[in-house]
Amino acid sequence: MIADWSDEIVLAATILSWFIIAAGLAQTTIYLLQLVLAGYALSKRPPVARSALLWQRYGEVAPPIALLVPAYNEEVNVVESVHSMLALEYPNFEVIVINDGSKDQTLQRLIEGFKLVKFHRPYEDALAHKPIRGLYSSPMTERLFVIDKENGGKADAQNAGINVCRAPLFCVIDGDSILEPDALMRAAQPFIDDPERTIAVGGTIRIANGSKIEAGRVREVHLPRRLLPLFQVVEYLRAFLMARLAWSSVNTLMLVSGAFGMFRRAEVVAVGGFTKGSMGEDLDLVIKLHRHMRDKKRKYRVQFIPEPVCWTEAPETLSVLARQRTRWQRGALECFFRYRAMLLNPRYGRVGFLGFGHIFIVDVMGPVAEVLGYILIPAFWLLGILSAEYLLAFTSLIFTYGVCVSVCSLILEEAELQRFPRARDLAVLTAAAVIENFGYRQLNNFWRVKGCWQFLRGDQGWGEMTRTGLGAAKK
Amino acid sequence: MWYVWNLSILLSALSLVIMLFLIARRLLRERRDAARAGQRRQLLTALITFTEDRDRQTLKTAILSVPPGVAIEAGFEFVSLLRGEERDDVLVAFNECGLPALVGRQLERGNVAERIHAAEMLAALGSQNATASLLSALDQDRSREVRIAAAIALCDLGSLPLLGVALDKIGVAGQRSRRLIELFRRFPRTRFNELAIHASRVDAVPFIRAAAIDALARAGGFGFAAFFAGLTGDASPEVVAAALRALGLTGHADAPAILTSAMANDDWDVRAAAAESAGRLGLPELAAPLSRLLDDEVWNVRYAAANALRSFGQPGERLLRQIADSEVSRSQRTASLILAEGPAA
Repeated sequence: MIADWSDEIVLAATILSWFIIAAGLAQTTIYLLQLVLAGYALSKRPPVARSALLWQRYGEVAPPIALLVPAYNEEVNVVESVHSMLALEYPNFEVIVINDGSKDQTLQRLIEGFKLVKFHRPYEDALAHKPIRGLYSSPMTERLFVIDKENGGKADAQNAGINVCRAPLFCVIDGDSILEPDALMRAAQPFIDDPERTIAVGGTIRIANGSKIEAGRVREVHLPRRLLPLFQVVEYLRAFLMARLAWSSVNTLMLVSGAFGMFRRAEVVAVGGFTKGSMGEDLDLVIKLHRHMRDKKRKYRVQFIPEPVCWTEAPETLSVLARQRTRWQRGALECFFRYRAMLLNPRYGRVGFLGFGHIFIVDVMGPVAEVLGYILIPAFWLLGILSAEYLLAFTSLIFTYGVCVSVCSLILEEAELQRFPRARDLAVLTAAAVIENFGYRQLNNFWRVKGCWQFLRGDQGWGEMTRTGLGAAKK
Repeated sequence: MWYVWNLSILLSALSLVIMLFLIARRLLRERRDAARAGQRRQLLTALITFTEDRDRQTLKTAILSVPPGVAIEAGFEFVSLLRGEERDDVLVAFNECGLPALVGRQLERGNVAERIHAAEMLAALGSQNATASLLSALDQDRSREVRIAAAIALCDLGSLPLLGVALDKIGVAGQRSRRLIELFRRFPRTRFNELAIHASRVDAVPFIRAAAIDALARAGGFGFAAFFAGLTGDASPEVVAAALRALGLTGHADAPAILTSAMANDDWDVRAAAAESAGRLGLPELAAPLSRLLDDEVWNVRYAAANALRSFGQPGERLLRQIADSEVSRSQRTASLILAEGPAA
């Protein structure tokens, strides 16, 4: 049958197929390498089970931390969220809520909830941001400050918070997320063990959909009942426990999530803070930190540790999830092209090779090659241009290796951390880890290609992120 | 291409088999954990009863009736809540049941987290063999975090080797941990001279020298003031800043001259430390150099200087007001900001 087609067509189809399969192979190799590195890192650094021990061990020497909480139209949950943040178990911290020009009653709710009064606090204008309209403190607790500023976006709000905070470390968290009570203590650990070199630490983000939440705390961990957030549980496991832990172990971590990350203030100020208007401001900041430290030839660590947990609400509808994923893709491409000079640049060592190489293969080439493969490889085979070997190779890279990588992430979780409370949860997640490769993965790649297209068109919209609110999460 | 397919099938099948095994293990563990929770409750009840009736034999029977892991964990947790005679009595029972030996084994064979915890437990249990086990861990453990934990535990037991020796065993990489600050803060007064020797060693890690100075300043008092004054001439800015902060706690006859000179240092941390100490010591004669620091290029220095002036009371506030009312400048802005700090009118 192959003989029916002209040599040129067969050659073109073969080259294209080889490109698609090579891209898939590169991606799979990276994932397998990450699994090995993550497994080794986890075995070298097992978690401390009881948080009371951490308090005994580190309480005396824990550095002060400012918790920065940008809030935009968060009137529903903001008071409860802030209450839960004020109740975190850490000896020396302050909570700075930044009301980023909310159009709803966010500020009013905070004023009423904490009896806020206007307050003058001298601060350094180290980073540019939209004007601050007022600072507020609470007579109920000296730990709480509220910044009311004109709307400028999340990065702008975070920069305002960095200016106002006085602690040497700050932790960024989304206003609608929930930190575990010991999360700060656990995340601060690298700053205690290696205070001179550690400049940023990321913790794990977990999905709270389906869990029982009371008074701003996750009381009982359950899996989501809906399929879409359930797949995202597996996805987050892969992203955090495999990818971030692996790159962290070789000091090539390129992303500390903006939903929960701890940074040394001085270095963040030195790189100009969060980049305003960026689609991936968290990725952008970490790349800037790498570049800055390498340019200055300073020893440093950007670390991920799996134990500190921040709970977040995952999108439950396809439309919201699609908006989130296209935005993430635009963020990744934006950062890649903005800092492209670092790619394979020996000056940036393994960050240039491994970190940027990873972004190039997984975020730039990956989705395009995979979506092309979905269309072309079966078509070439059906038309008789390619043999079944190609189809099988592509199928294995997408489906069977996909199953292997997802299940292995789950193995890492269960072997070392065991954070899912019931054996039944593990069984459900194993099933999800298999099924997500048949449909969900393809959908995700389609959204990512859409994100590429939007990036090429210069679309800068964030899109509306509709949430039901964690307090109202289904039980 | 076939090998790509075959390998993928093999790997995914293998991963699924391992996962199924882990699920089965979890099922067994769920049952074991439920049993352990019951045993733990039972032991804690026995411990509470013991604090009332002091019937050691009954307590020992209760300890020996539960698995060693449960006894160690629940026992350590309970002991950390006790003080004085009650604690001593419980520890005797633990020792008679051989718990410290089990903890010692954990210190040798556990993973890193377990070994650190074992070092802490050995310090709390204070058995005869604890020192030997901890010295061995300090000497031989692969993890510097475990070696630091062992050093802290030995310090609590009063058996830490000479500081120089202990730090050598911890290793250079471990000498950047803030955990060493805790070790220094636990140092007995009788051994403060070792801290002082280490703080003055120019070949030592500056971070550790600064931590030693801080520990001496907090607990050593005025006796070390001259020593701190001497260190303000050190080559390392980190050490100088720590010595200046220490002087701010102890005071010294030459403090005004030393602080004035430090306020002109090239390192901003040194200038900020000098300003802080001037404020803490309440030295209004340093108002002039402090007011010059209000124009410093680094915010932290400006803020420390302004705070120091404010801490002088009325004379300082008057000076700040004068500056705040003067022409627009960095000093003027710093002064007005610091004067405005607090609830809005």
